[in-house]
Amino acid sequence: MFSTGFKYFMGVTVLSVVALIMSLFVLDQVAIAGVALSMLVVAAALLGGIAVVTRDGNRQSGVNEQSTDLVSQSIWPLVTSIGVVFLALGLVISSAVFFGGIVILLAALAEWMVQSWSERASKDANYNASARKRLLNPIEFPVLAALGLGIVIFSFSRIMLTVDKTTGASLFIVFGSLVLIGGILFAIKPDMKRSLGAAICVLGAVGIVAGGIVSATSGVREELVVAKGESHMAPECGEERSEHFDKNATGTLSLRSSVSATIELLDGQLTARLVGFQDPQKSLTISRSAPTNLIFHNLDAKDYRLVAELGTRAAAEPEGATEKNLVCTQLAAQGFEQLLLLKIDKPAPEGTSYRLVVPGVEGQSIELVVP
Amino acid sequence: MNHSAKHLYLKHLVTSVLRMVGKKSRTLFGVSLLSFIAASCAKNAPQDTWQPKGPNAKIIDDLQQPVFAVAGVIGLIVAVAVIYSVLKYKDRGQPIPEQTHGKPALEITLTIIPALILAVVAVFTFGAIFKLAKTDDTEMIINVTGQQWWWEYDYPVQNDFGITQPIISSGQLVLPVGTKVLLRETSRDVIHSYWIPALNGKRDAVPGRIQTLRLEADEPGIFTGQCTEFCGLSHANMRMEAVALSKADFAKWVANQQAAYVAPAKDSLAQQGEAVFLNQCVRCHQVNGLMRADGTPAIAAPDENVWSGSAPNLTHLMSRNTFAGASFDLLSKQCRDEVWNAPSDVIGTKYLAGVSQDCLNQKDLRSWLRNAPEMLPMYANPTQLAATGGKYRGMPYLALSEDDISKLVAYLLTLK
Repeated sequence: MFSTGFKYFMGVTVLSVVALIMSLFVLDQVAIAGVALSMLVVAAALLGGIAVVTRDGNRQSGVNEQSTDLVSQSIWPLVTSIGVVFLALGLVISSAVFFGGIVILLAALAEWMVQSWSERASKDANYNASARKRLLNPIEFPVLAALGLGIVIFSFSRIMLTVDKTTGASLFIVFGSLVLIGGILFAIKPDMKRSLGAAICVLGAVGIVAGGIVSATSGVREELVVAKGESHMAPECGEERSEHFDKNATGTLSLRSSVSATIELLDGQLTARLVGFQDPQKSLTISRSAPTNLIFHNLDAKDYRLVAELGTRAAAEPEGATEKNLVCTQLAAQGFEQLLLLKIDKPAPEGTSYRLVVPGVEGQSIELVVP
Repeated sequence: MNHSAKHLYLKHLVTSVLRMVGKKSRTLFGVSLLSFIAASCAKNAPQDTWQPKGPNAKIIDDLQQPVFAVAGVIGLIVAVAVIYSVLKYKDRGQPIPEQTHGKPALEITLTIIPALILAVVAVFTFGAIFKLAKTDDTEMIINVTGQQWWWEYDYPVQNDFGITQPIISSGQLVLPVGTKVLLRETSRDVIHSYWIPALNGKRDAVPGRIQTLRLEADEPGIFTGQCTEFCGLSHANMRMEAVALSKADFAKWVANQQAAYVAPAKDSLAQQGEAVFLNQCVRCHQVNGLMRADGTPAIAAPDENVWSGSAPNLTHLMSRNTFAGASFDLLSKQCRDEVWNAPSDVIGTKYLAGVSQDCLNQKDLRSWLRNAPEMLPMYANPTQLAATGGKYRGMPYLALSEDDISKLVAYLLTLK
C-alpha cells in the first residue's frame, strides 16, 4: 500500500517532529534549530507525499525481484569504524578531528546504505552495480575531484609561502606554462593513451604534494615571519617602524567601495569628499559607535599618513594618567591610498573637537562631528 | 476534435477537478480566493508599492506596471498550459507515446522570444537603476543608521535648510517636500534594509559601508515602511516613518529641533522625573543639553551597555509620533488619526503640534517603561545571550516603581 520511499520519508518526518519538539524543550535559543527542523519536516513530508503519489517514480514497481545472493565485500564498515575512532579521538584532541569524524561517518554510512540497497535491488548483479553508480557517481566524482584539487592547491600554496617572491613568480609561470602545454597536447592528441595522460597528471600532482610537504616542514620565508611580528593593525602614528606594510592597502580591499568619505591631500590642502555632497567638505559627521571607513588619498610628493585625533584616553601607566587617543593609517606614497577604520563611541567633550590631520602638513584638518 | 467534443472534454476536465478537490476543499479554496482578491483591493494599504508618492517611487512604478502586465500574461499562459497538460496527459495507464528528441526550430524560437522580452525589460530596468542611483543633484543629506531594532536619523549642518548644528532623531524621518533628499545609510550591528515603498525602493544598510538612497515626496504626508532584511528577533517590528512637511513647516521643525534644552519647572513632578532619568535612563539615552547636578553635561554611554552601541536620542522626543523604533505610538489613537488622516495642507501643522498631555498614549509608554522586553522581543536579558558580552539588545527591564514611571512620563512630556 505505502511505497518504500513514502515509508522512508515519513520516518524522517516523524523523527524531525520529535527532534523539533525536543529542541523546543532542550535549547534556549531555538531560532535556527527550530527553523531548520521545521524546514526538514516540511521537505520530508513533501517528498513523502510525492513518493506515494508517484509510487516512488516507478510504475513497474514490484516487477524486479530482489536478489537473494550473498552480498559482496564492502570497505564501508571499515571506513565507518575509522569515522567512529576519529569521532572519539576528536572529543579528546580537537574539534577539527571530531568534525572530520562526523564527515567520514556520514559519508561512509551513506555509501554503505546505498551499496546495501543496490545489492538487493534485483537479481541482476550488473544492473545492481549500475544502479549504485547512477546514484552515487554524480556525488562521488565531484567530491573526490574537489578533495584532490584542494590538496594540490594547498600544497602549492605552501610552496609559494616558502620560496622567495622572485622564485615564487617564476614557479607560478613555469607551473602555469606546463598546465597550458599539457592541455594543448591533450587537445591535439585526442587518441593519446589514457594511461599516459593519467600518469602525467598523477606525477605532477604527486610532485606538488611532495613539494608542499617539504615546504610545510621547512616553514614560511623569513620576510613573512617578520611582517607577522610587526602588528600592522596596532595604532602607531609616529615614525613608520613597519618594514613590510602594504603601501597601497585599498588596492586590495573590497572595503574601498561605499566608504564614508575619501580624504584627499593635494597641494597641502586636506579635504573630504563625501557621496552626495557636491563640494569638498571640511567636516564629516560620524554616527556614534558606527564602524566608519575612510580612504586617505595622498596626491602630494612626500609620504604622509592620516591621523584621527580623538581626544585622550587612559594610559597603560602610570595609573590615572592619560595619553592622546590617536588612530592612523600607515604611510601612503604619492598617488597611493590607505584605509582608516574609525569607531567613535562618544561625542567630543565640551569645548574640544575630534579631527583628522596629516602630520607634516600644517594648518589643515577635517573636523569629525559625532552627534 | 470538433467544437462540441472540445466543449464536452473541457466540461469533463472541470468536473474531474471539482470532484477531486471535494466540497470542503472547494469552500476553503473559494474563501482563500475571495480573501486574496479582497486583500488586493484594500484601500488602507500604507505600504502598497503601487501607490507612488514621489518621483523616485514613480520611476519604479513606471517600470513595474508594464513588466508586471507582461509577466502576468506570460505567467497565466504558462499556468494554463501546465494545468491543461497535467490534466489531459495524466497517467491513466495509457501507452507511453512515441518519444522524440529535439526540435531545433521550436527550441530556438522559445529561447529567442523570452530573450528578446528580457532584453527589452533590461533596457528600461537599467535606465531606471541609473536614474535612481543619481546623486549629483542632491539638495539635502540625511545620515541614516540602522541597529537592532530602530533607525537613527542625523542631519549634518546644512545652512540652506537652516540646519546650523547637527540634528539627531529616531523613528520618524522628517523631510521637506519637493526636495531631493539623499540618505547615507549605514548600520551599527547587522545588515538592515531601509524601505519606504511610497518614496523609493529598498537599500541595505551595511556596517562599515555607506549606501545611498534618494527620497523625494510630492506632497506633505506620513509614509510608512519597515526593515526588509532579517535582522534578528524584532525584525518584524523594526518600522520607519517618513514625514514630509512643506518647506515652511520643515523650517519650523528644524528650528524646534535646534532649540535649547528647557529644564522642567522647579519642584514639579517633571523635575523629579529628570532626576530619575539622570539616574537610570541617561546610561543609554542622550538628551542634548541635559546637565548633571554637578553642572557637567550628561553624556550617555550606550556603547558600554548596549550591544549595538547606541540608543535613541530622546531630545525633543515629544515632537515625534512614535517611540521604540516606531513600534508604538506616542499619540493616542484619536489624536494619531487626526494627524495621519489630516489633509495634506494641514498635516504639517498638526504634526508639528507634537504630543500633548491629553494626546499622549500613556498606556503604551507606561507599559514600555514598566517592562519593555514584555512589549517587544529583544533578547534584553544579556545573561541569556553570552555573545553580547553582557550588553543589552534593546531596552532592558529596569524595575522602575509606578511612582518613578509617573515622574518619568511627566519629564518625557517636557521634551517637546
